[in-house]
Amino acid sequence: MPSRGQNEDRDSGIARSASLSSLLITPFPSPSSSTSSSSSYQRRWLRSQTTSLENGIIPRRSTDETFSLAEETCSSNPAIVRRKKIAISIIFSLCEKEEAQRNFQDFFFSHFPLFESHMNRLKSAVEKAMISCRKIAESSHRVQFYISRLMEALGEFRGTIWNLYSVPRIAEPVWLTMMSSTLEKTQLCQRFLKEFTLLIEQINKNQFFAALLTAVLTYHLAWVPTVMPVDHPPIKAFSEKRTSQSVNMLAKTHPYNPLWAQLGDLYGAIGSPVRLTRTVVVGKQKDLVQRILYVLTYFLRCSELQENQLTWSGNHGEGDQVLNGSKITTALEKGEVEESEYVVVTVRNEPALIPPVLPFMIERRNPGPMGSAGTPEGTAITDLCPSLDKEESRRPEQSSEACSMGFQEPALGSSWQHQGTFCGDKGCEKEAPRDGCLRLSSSEVLGAGLEVSQQTVHEELKGEMSTKLSERSAAWPCPDRRAREKAALERVTFQIGSSVSPESDLEGRAQKMEEQLKACRQCPELAGSPWAQPRATADVAQDQHVSGCSFKPGFRKNTCCPQNQSSERDKDRLDRCFAEDRGIRTNVVAGVAGQLSQSADSSVSSDAAAGTGESTLEKTKGLCLNDAEGPLLEPVPNRCVQQDSGFSVAADVPCGDADRKVDFRMEGDIPRNESSDSALGDSDDDTCASAAPSLGHRSDRTEESLEVELPLPRSQSFSNQSVRNFGRSLLAGYCPTYMPDLVLHGTSNDEKLKQCLMADLLHTVHHPVLDEPIAEAVCIVADTEKWSVQVVTSQRKVADGVKLGQDVLVSSQVSSLLQAILQLYKLHFPADFCVMHLEDRLQEMYFKSKMLSEYLRGHTRVHVKELGVVLGIESNDLPLLTAIASTHSPYVAQILL
Amino acid sequence: MNAIVALCHFCELHGPRTLFCTEVLHAPLPQGAGSGDSPGQGEQAEEEEGGIQMSSRIHSHSPADGASAEASSPGPKKSDMCEGCRSLAVGHPGYISHDKETSIKYVSHQHPNHPQLFSIVRQACVRSLSCEVCPGREGPIFFGDEQHGFVFSHTFFIKDSLARGFQRWYSIIAIMMDRIYLINSWPFLLGKIRGIIDELQGKALKVFEAEQFGCPQRAQRMNTAFTPFLHQRNGNAARSLTSLTSDDNLWACLHTSFAWLLKACGSRLTEKLLEGAPTEDTLVQMEKLADLEEESESWDNTEAEEEKTLVFPEGAEGQEQIKCPTDLSSLSDCGSWQPRKLPVFKSLRHMRQVLGAPSFRMLAWHVLMGNQVIWKSRDIDLVQSAFEVLRTMLPVGCVRIIPYSNQYEEAYRCNFLGLSPQVQIPHHVLSSVGPTILNKIEAALTNQNLSVDVVDQCLVCLKEEWMNKVKVLFKFTKVDSRPKEDTQKLLSILGASEEDNVKLLKFWMTGLSKTYKSHLMSTVRSPTASESRN
Repeated sequence: MPSRGQNEDRDSGIARSASLSSLLITPFPSPSSSTSSSSSYQRRWLRSQTTSLENGIIPRRSTDETFSLAEETCSSNPAIVRRKKIAISIIFSLCEKEEAQRNFQDFFFSHFPLFESHMNRLKSAVEKAMISCRKIAESSHRVQFYISRLMEALGEFRGTIWNLYSVPRIAEPVWLTMMSSTLEKTQLCQRFLKEFTLLIEQINKNQFFAALLTAVLTYHLAWVPTVMPVDHPPIKAFSEKRTSQSVNMLAKTHPYNPLWAQLGDLYGAIGSPVRLTRTVVVGKQKDLVQRILYVLTYFLRCSELQENQLTWSGNHGEGDQVLNGSKITTALEKGEVEESEYVVVTVRNEPALIPPVLPFMIERRNPGPMGSAGTPEGTAITDLCPSLDKEESRRPEQSSEACSMGFQEPALGSSWQHQGTFCGDKGCEKEAPRDGCLRLSSSEVLGAGLEVSQQTVHEELKGEMSTKLSERSAAWPCPDRRAREKAALERVTFQIGSSVSPESDLEGRAQKMEEQLKACRQCPELAGSPWAQPRATADVAQDQHVSGCSFKPGFRKNTCCPQNQSSERDKDRLDRCFAEDRGIRTNVVAGVAGQLSQSADSSVSSDAAAGTGESTLEKTKGLCLNDAEGPLLEPVPNRCVQQDSGFSVAADVPCGDADRKVDFRMEGDIPRNESSDSALGDSDDDTCASAAPSLGHRSDRTEESLEVELPLPRSQSFSNQSVRNFGRSLLAGYCPTYMPDLVLHGTSNDEKLKQCLMADLLHTVHHPVLDEPIAEAVCIVADTEKWSVQVVTSQRKVADGVKLGQDVLVSSQVSSLLQAILQLYKLHFPADFCVMHLEDRLQEMYFKSKMLSEYLRGHTRVHVKELGVVLGIESNDLPLLTAIASTHSPYVAQILL
Repeated sequence: MNAIVALCHFCELHGPRTLFCTEVLHAPLPQGAGSGDSPGQGEQAEEEEGGIQMSSRIHSHSPADGASAEASSPGPKKSDMCEGCRSLAVGHPGYISHDKETSIKYVSHQHPNHPQLFSIVRQACVRSLSCEVCPGREGPIFFGDEQHGFVFSHTFFIKDSLARGFQRWYSIIAIMMDRIYLINSWPFLLGKIRGIIDELQGKALKVFEAEQFGCPQRAQRMNTAFTPFLHQRNGNAARSLTSLTSDDNLWACLHTSFAWLLKACGSRLTEKLLEGAPTEDTLVQMEKLADLEEESESWDNTEAEEEKTLVFPEGAEGQEQIKCPTDLSSLSDCGSWQPRKLPVFKSLRHMRQVLGAPSFRMLAWHVLMGNQVIWKSRDIDLVQSAFEVLRTMLPVGCVRIIPYSNQYEEAYRCNFLGLSPQVQIPHHVLSSVGPTILNKIEAALTNQNLSVDVVDQCLVCLKEEWMNKVKVLFKFTKVDSRPKEDTQKLLSILGASEEDNVKLLKFWMTGLSKTYKSHLMSTVRSPTASESRN
């Protein structure tokens, strides 16, 4: 079968790695028991642990930051060495164009490890120059020598950085592009396969291509986790792989630096021992080299990065734009004159200081839901109809001047506006009787909360309640709001901390509900009255806000409000009813769900929510233009909103109200900062736990009950793909000359390569860009002039001047894979299928490596020949399979010693 | 994000002081990523290991034993503190925020409780307000080392009508052990922290202007130029930031803002990492499970009163048994069959030893080709055990077992059939070279150097290899319906042109998962795909 380089040691691949005990200095060896966990996951987890601060710091190797200017001979006694302090600073002068500046800055900060590595090189060059210039006796010569060395090093540095920044990149790395764009996948597959098969046919006669691919698969190991089978079904199409949920979750709970992770993947630094690999394709035929590079980008894999912008202050409407942190919102507002509307364009900068939701506020605001919605109504009632439009049009100023507490946040004001003002007036007026369901659904949520808070004593305030409160209190800064609040405060009795046993409480509540229900039945005109509506209308208002005017007409239709005038009545009674009404809502709704009476505590709200969600789904559909998949009418104004697909938004519920997560996401990317809980709130535990602190935290949290709980604001995440990352920058095209940092590039001749490569590799080992020790730096050099593929390593200097490194042993696995794909292609299998088959074949290699590692597990020492004989794996496959095995079974390399 | 954010102040009486500091506490263990997606066992074991370690460390300084920690904590003594270098009032417990989704907690105190962190923050604070200062004394700077962490520091002034020079000096610092991450986040941190600073300064400016309006200090100071400065200090030098900004909720506000900053920075960049497709075996197993669930649901619907937990026997047998028209006793017998004793056959190899190589080969051949294997025995356990061992040679989807029956069942219903000795078998003739995979399986079984586990892995390899061939053949013949001549070509490409191999492939095709088949039928079928090539 395939064989190249007959002179070479057949076992070289393993022998080399095995003979080097130094290779085994992996900083954090993964446990050998990890059978199904991928090394990508392990790497990331360890990274987050080693850089953790919360338990004190974990001592790490110290980087030598000072210059060592002593020669080896006299360095034995540090006292003798005179300490000199030297510092280098590099100044980048940027061009004047702002965009160019920003580009470079982005590049600089995202690619900092590479910059740093070159700084280190510069530093060692300076050291060397200083040390060697000492030998020159005459001072003028010495200075000259020193300066010239310095300038040389600086020139080198400058050139490298310049090249790194400006080198041509592969526009569409196959793997990354396939991963991110699903639309063009077929075309992509076709293009890739066309190139791939062309190479197999044309340049594999002497096994060149197979050798190259063998080397790439052996060293750039990040492909392995992408073929490790999972034990869950694919989400969508079969051909589409799934994003790793465990890694996603890890990133949320234990954030690590994804840029770092990506860099490690690209360099293939996921095996054990850790190797850092680059690949250079040399050749005068630019076209051919580019072709090879293109095809290799399918096998050089890494994760795809996206940038998420988290915002907290309010609702982004559909089509909202976020520009440099400021939001541009267009909203349709009702004008002063009846029937008139105008568009309000708001540009707001999200304030950096986030108003806290203070516990005392919550406490005071416990009547909150009622107070905030209720009292305003109380006031609004008096001048209800006439004031409506005025109120609305006044709102913008109001919100801007509303920041009594010094938070200059229009955002707050405006979110408040939906919550409060809309609730107050518009809601009342525009209530339609047959709106019932809508009302129910939204008011229910409120109701649930209120019911708990008002009727059943606050100490058991839980779940939704507190978050809702907090949210409302988030809007607290409005001065007028506060003033209105007081009215309610006077009337409400609080029993904070009066602990009642849960059971009795439950009974009591049930009883009260019963009463309320009766009461409600007695005053039917109130059942659908304003008290129930605020939330509904807030939602409506929000929807409206969100979807522009599209909703308006529908809204209009419903704008009759028969019983509204009733609100002129006795205020006290209304206030009372207000509270009761909510209870009733809950009751009614829960009745639908048929489970209120036995539901306990926090589940009251969630059950009710569930009930309503279901029962009102169809009816509200017409109204909720946006929340196609949110069965629960959005109860909260600060909500996420829909967008287009390139631009995703998700609402995030950070403050623990997992159950209230309403998913407005439709299609587009799934942003990370978004919980997947159902909107129907089945996670009672979560809610309890999270909500409890706001009031009852002292009793609930025994262990860490010291701190005052402040909820985080809820958040939305905007994602965009176009973030500077290594996946896009280190896969380069055909470069004028050899380059040090690139994971992949092509160049016309190997002169500079021969000159610099060894030094580069050594430098890579000494100053690893991955911020962790690596065992070996490797460069795969494929020469299309000589049709040779060699592996150059930092570990072994090749005495032979002609050869850079060692020839690669062609794996039969790889060559048969190539043949198979070529044949399938020739038989006119569609490209998608060929790619699927390619993945299947790569997966086969993974299985073989599992077998190999399983075999090695029982052995302390294994002769390489034996492996071939016993496992039926050809010996030329062993280097490849061993490398693969090292990603899931780190002990493999040790055993092969 | 593994970082600490702190607000520091250069007190004119006491020098650099940490005012307020927000830390992040992560759950010791990574959360399982949902029910269907929990990490593998090995991984979990590993995490657990880490978890124990972590949690014990957490406990070592948890606020529960905070009393002793506080007593010995190196924090400044009360007498050493003035209004200016205090944030939270004495006895204030600090703030905490929970991010439920991620189980991350953000806690704020004046100083970190952990002694090591205390000194790290303290040192960073001192450096940020003394030596590591940006030109102009306002602006961002980066410093640090591996021992004390890396620091992003932004210094700034806050207006104070009573202070020397009418301003006070502060810094907001972010400390991380991950140097690269910190620098990667620089533009983000700079933007956000500057925003916070701007707003603080804005608030202070308002207060300052109001105070100046009420009582112009400059003029006053000019007039009392000879008053010793110290005198004034005693009166007003130590104003708290709260009063400078006239914001009573400043600390709560900073807590929320810092926590938010940490959260936003930690989730700023996310990566998408793909993982491999499940194997056919996994898919088929899941499909079967789903079918069972469906079945059990329909059961539930019809008999809602009955308790929900019907015990279904594992795997395919259960289904088959239900259909199996045998007498009840034997059915229940089969249904509740558990590997209660040690299995009769421990492994394929064991079976081979028992049967002897030639018989085993014969048996294995038929198993692989999909021929019906009938095992007659009085001993149900033995039959069960034999089938459990033999089934491992086949893809899950190809296994149809009727473990024990009192009458013959047709081959289309089962390829493994256990019968009691008396049952009459219709005349079926067994015929017999063998498929490639058989030779390989035999080789593995023969080789005594291979442990049972290795043989298992070997079987997985072989099955996957051949299933991949099956996929190709399926696509070619069933989906694309290509002509026979081409099929021959394909088979030789696949290395499966011998008759036995073909037979095997065809049989195995019946074991492909529905998911896979329907996917091929729908999406991959694209007649244009092959034509569009040039």
